[in-house]
Amino acid sequence: MKNFIFGFLTTFVLILIVPLTYLRLGAAEVRGDVRAPSWERRLMQFALHAAVRRNAQRIQNPLPHSDEQLVAGGKMYLDGCAGCHGTPGRPARIHIAYAPPPEFAHVGTPYSESELFWVVKHGIRRTGMSAYASFYSDQQVWQLVEFVQQMNNLPPAVFDAIQPKRR
Amino acid sequence: MKKFLVGSLCAITFLAIVLAAYLGLGFMDVAADQRPSAREAGFMTASLEASVRRRAPQMQNPLASSDDTLIAGGKLYLNDCVGCHGEPGQPPSDFGATFYPPAPQFPSAGTQFSEAQTFWVAKNGIRMTGMSPQGSSYSDSQLWSLAAFISRVRNLPPAVVKAIRPPPSK
Repeated sequence: MKNFIFGFLTTFVLILIVPLTYLRLGAAEVRGDVRAPSWERRLMQFALHAAVRRNAQRIQNPLPHSDEQLVAGGKMYLDGCAGCHGTPGRPARIHIAYAPPPEFAHVGTPYSESELFWVVKHGIRRTGMSAYASFYSDQQVWQLVEFVQQMNNLPPAVFDAIQPKRR
Repeated sequence: MKKFLVGSLCAITFLAIVLAAYLGLGFMDVAADQRPSAREAGFMTASLEASVRRRAPQMQNPLASSDDTLIAGGKLYLNDCVGCHGEPGQPPSDFGATFYPPAPQFPSAGTQFSEAQTFWVAKNGIRMTGMSPQGSSYSDSQLWSLAAFISRVRNLPPAVVKAIRPPPSK
């Protein structure tokens, strides 16, 4: 029994100390232009979605869906989000390989409206996604969220209305 | 010895289960609208600096140390970095503070990195932060001028400050 406890504790402490030492000695890769291995990407995306789902449980969209909301959201999106997340027909301008911002026009999103709302307001830790609660009202965030979800399936009138005006 | 190994395996299994539950049930902290704790910030900053020290080139800035270099870097900084890292002579960037970890405010806090290290970070970015790699947007010589500017940003010659100031809007 004594040996069992000794083995348990030794391993426990080692598992905690080894990663901390690895980091502190500067062994960790820090470059943002090298992609993460796919197991890590999948694990983190899974854990992130689980955490967002948990946080967004009780949030509900109070706005009715309408073309006006989509147009308002689309204009904000082109102004504030498209640089990293891209738009239909135009790829993103800023490229971060680790963690990469999803290009919604290509991949859509598995997140529900409530989950997206929570992410826009609170941001995502240890990514380039900052917290936007102090820059947009709740109503504006809902408009954005609606646009993100429907980006690849916009009514033609909405698509025309959000195009930058040509002079 | 056998019991030691059984204990060791139990510890591994136990930690794996705890980790899987923590991640899978959504208990990981993901909100970016809090500041990292002092302990976390201290540890992660030290680890980042250790990694950069290991990997960044150890060399002097190949560009001549002149006002022209600082002006070139300053214009680039004002164009593309101020949004997150703050503008000289202005209050810290609100936007830079909305990331986790927050973007360092060079005009008020300066930087611990050498010019070569700043060059390397700007070129390659920093993973798991909002710092995107700039190597595809700027040439090496532009990034060296930027590194020179950032290392002097708290102590710029007045001629440089004047030259990079945006022209007054009409």
